[in-house]
Amino acid sequence: MRRLIPILVFAAALALMQWAGGLPVTTLPLTTLAVCVVTLTLARLLRWEGWVFRVRPGSRRYSALLFALFVRHFAGILGTETRRVLIARRLAAPRTLGAGGARSLLFALAALFGRALTRAERFYAAQSLGGMTD
Amino acid sequence: MTPVLEVENLSFAYDHRAPVLAGVSFAVQSGECVGIVGANGAGKSTLLWCLLGLLKARGTVRWFGREQGRAEAGRIGVVFQNPEDQLFMPEVLEDVALGLINRGGEPAAARRQALAALQEAGLAEAAARPATQLSLGERKRAAIAAALALAPDLLLLDEPTAELDPRSVRQLAGLLAGLSMARLIASHHLEFLGRLCSRLLVLSQGRLMAQGPAAEILADAALLECAGLV
Repeated sequence: MRRLIPILVFAAALALMQWAGGLPVTTLPLTTLAVCVVTLTLARLLRWEGWVFRVRPGSRRYSALLFALFVRHFAGILGTETRRVLIARRLAAPRTLGAGGARSLLFALAALFGRALTRAERFYAAQSLGGMTD
Repeated sequence: MTPVLEVENLSFAYDHRAPVLAGVSFAVQSGECVGIVGANGAGKSTLLWCLLGLLKARGTVRWFGREQGRAEAGRIGVVFQNPEDQLFMPEVLEDVALGLINRGGEPAAARRQALAALQEAGLAEAAARPATQLSLGERKRAAIAAALALAPDLLLLDEPTAELDPRSVRQLAGLLAGLSMARLIASHHLEFLGRLCSRLLVLSQGRLMAQGPAAEILADAALLECAGLV
């Protein structure tokens, strides 16, 4: 369940940004959370090894399995990045409460989004060059 | 003989900011190992991304004599700085085989080729393990194996020695030295590039300051100083 905390933070920050930006708060944060919960639960319950050699490439099942692995991988990345950002915040801002604490938390969340976006962009680039989009 | 890669007057800037690359021109011949050397922020990674069509640059890029907006995927292997961008499957063997399968390879043949590539990278014993259980050096070699499995004619590597310890750097250099295809390596690790490359391109503030035989470039203290490399 601890792996879901960064996703929860991410989804909550997403909703907060939509609200703060004057945009309608969509179901995207909830969808993100639901997809991650389902995928991470399945990842715990099922064995995933070797499926790429058994499932027909290009089939719906193949795409669904790849998608699930992307989500699992990205949940891991998000977890790592969240830990890094929060450690950096703790070291840089001794006060975690009050105005200073809230400001440092906002900066940390903004940094988390930036880093997550960069990692997602690189992952997409690597996979598309690896033939994923052929 | 047609170069595997020809770049003419390549320029790139993010939005309306100062150019990250300005008028870069060079060529890579078949089987040649060329290093792109430059300090942090010199534009090495941006250059690779522009070559691959991941960033839209001005200028001409010809792969194997043909002008294209996007790299000719099947003939080019790419190893990114962070192997986690490339490895995400439950087993390393699947990570290495995935590119072959996505390009229409038959699964059994893909498995054989992937195992051979892992063997070449000295990682055959790690085939059944997830990449997350490997050391960074092993993950880098696994990412190289994934590129090698596709039997590319040109291998592009972005900062392959980043965060590696000296032994892993040595192992990586040994692996790359044994390859016969053309290699283009972006790095600021001078000793590593000196060991591998016959030719170096010196990039500074997005401009190609110099290019020539690796031994000559590395012996030019004033040039290295000016490029922020020493």
